[in-house]
Amino acid sequence: MKGTLTVRNIVIAGVLGAVAILLGVTRLGYIPVPTAAGNATIMHIPAIIGGIMQGPIVGAIVGIIFGVSSFLNATVPLFKDPLVAILPRLFIGVVAWVVYVGIRRKSEYLAIGTAAFLGTLANTVLVLTMAVVRGYMGAEVAWTVALTSGIPEAIVGTIVTLAVVLSWKQIGKGKKSRISED
Amino acid sequence: MASEFELSRNITIGQYVPTGSFIHRLDPRIKLLVFTILVLAIALNTSYVGNALGLLLSIYLFWVSKIPVSYGLSGIKPAIPFIIILAVLQLIFQGNVFSGGTVFFEYGFILITSESIRLVIVSAVRFVEIILLSSVLTLSTSTTELTHAIQSLLSPLKKIKFPVHEISLIITIAIRFVPTFAIEMEKMMKAQASRGADFGSGEWWRIIQRTKDMLPIIIPLFNIALSRAEDLILAMESRCYTPGNERSAYSVYKALVGDYIVLIIGLLLSLLLLFYPFPY
Repeated sequence: MKGTLTVRNIVIAGVLGAVAILLGVTRLGYIPVPTAAGNATIMHIPAIIGGIMQGPIVGAIVGIIFGVSSFLNATVPLFKDPLVAILPRLFIGVVAWVVYVGIRRKSEYLAIGTAAFLGTLANTVLVLTMAVVRGYMGAEVAWTVALTSGIPEAIVGTIVTLAVVLSWKQIGKGKKSRISED
Repeated sequence: MASEFELSRNITIGQYVPTGSFIHRLDPRIKLLVFTILVLAIALNTSYVGNALGLLLSIYLFWVSKIPVSYGLSGIKPAIPFIIILAVLQLIFQGNVFSGGTVFFEYGFILITSESIRLVIVSAVRFVEIILLSSVLTLSTSTTELTHAIQSLLSPLKKIKFPVHEISLIITIAIRFVPTFAIEMEKMMKAQASRGADFGSGEWWRIIQRTKDMLPIIIPLFNIALSRAEDLILAMESRCYTPGNERSAYSVYKALVGDYIVLIIGLLLSLLLLFYPFPY
């Protein structure tokens, strides 16, 4: 049951949302890179994990929670615009899910890694596109931000997602509830 | 050194301080609505006077709710070095983007204008205001009240088959688990540090090193979160929780005259912050 809001989907979306908020509030989720956008982030990882584990709806919901918390925590005017801070974040989990489902047949590892990488890229590209469209930065500035914060984000995102999703699939197999199939 | 690990003390989201004040007794629906509008108004205000007003208002609200301001300020403390670094970077790099106003300083690519100084000061003050306001809201409202409030504010969306109850449950779970995970993270940091792991002591410009230091906390954090989720799923299913069912509430809220007066005052203040042309 991927599409609907089952108990499992509700709880996992909530818990991953809590991790996204926590990373934002404690500032652990930021990688300080001196660019025009302020810093790189790893707070999109919960959205990717939600998308891979529970499908596009959970991914999108966690993305919204991340977007709202980054909108409220923002110190730069760029992320004080809901169109930049919240809207692009909807698609992180959805992109990750599409990529994961597409490649899963070939290799589980490859699918998770690629999904995390492309999910992160979706975040970077969409946020920067919105920033350029809304006139917060020029195209050249956006390219430098994409290179200086997008690449570290994608690398860290891939490592963390692979580690988390793989260990979640291995450990505690017997502990999971059988009522709501995943 | 030890203070680096005290995360839970600095996180005010999801905690509740019962003092029984006027703000605590407000109808949660109206409280949530007023605070949301106020936060949005402050987020969009860019003048010095407007933000000073917002700061005074948020401190006044702490006083009315009889919660010590130190509770709210502790949420800001961990962010202070971060705000300072960010402010310096903004001052150096944003001058070309916000080039309006008087030019104070120009050297190479560094351009400091009155507009970029305004940006730096206003965004720092605004950050403090929003943290304070959202702390008053969450410190004076229990999570149950908050869920009911979110649910009834979103209820018009039921007409278009939007899963209002489920979404408000997700938000509640998210808010409820923030302090729990903060405590877990604190334990993990101490456990890793006692095994010789090193965080926070690296210089801030060694980005790769600092990111690597964070991995042994972030990955277990996700694993703990997911295993907590499994427990909660089991608990909910064993109590026969079924999403999408019609359910009734234990307590029904009724807005009184005082609540409506607060709503009107809040709306007026937000309109003032949004549309009044402040001189500075």
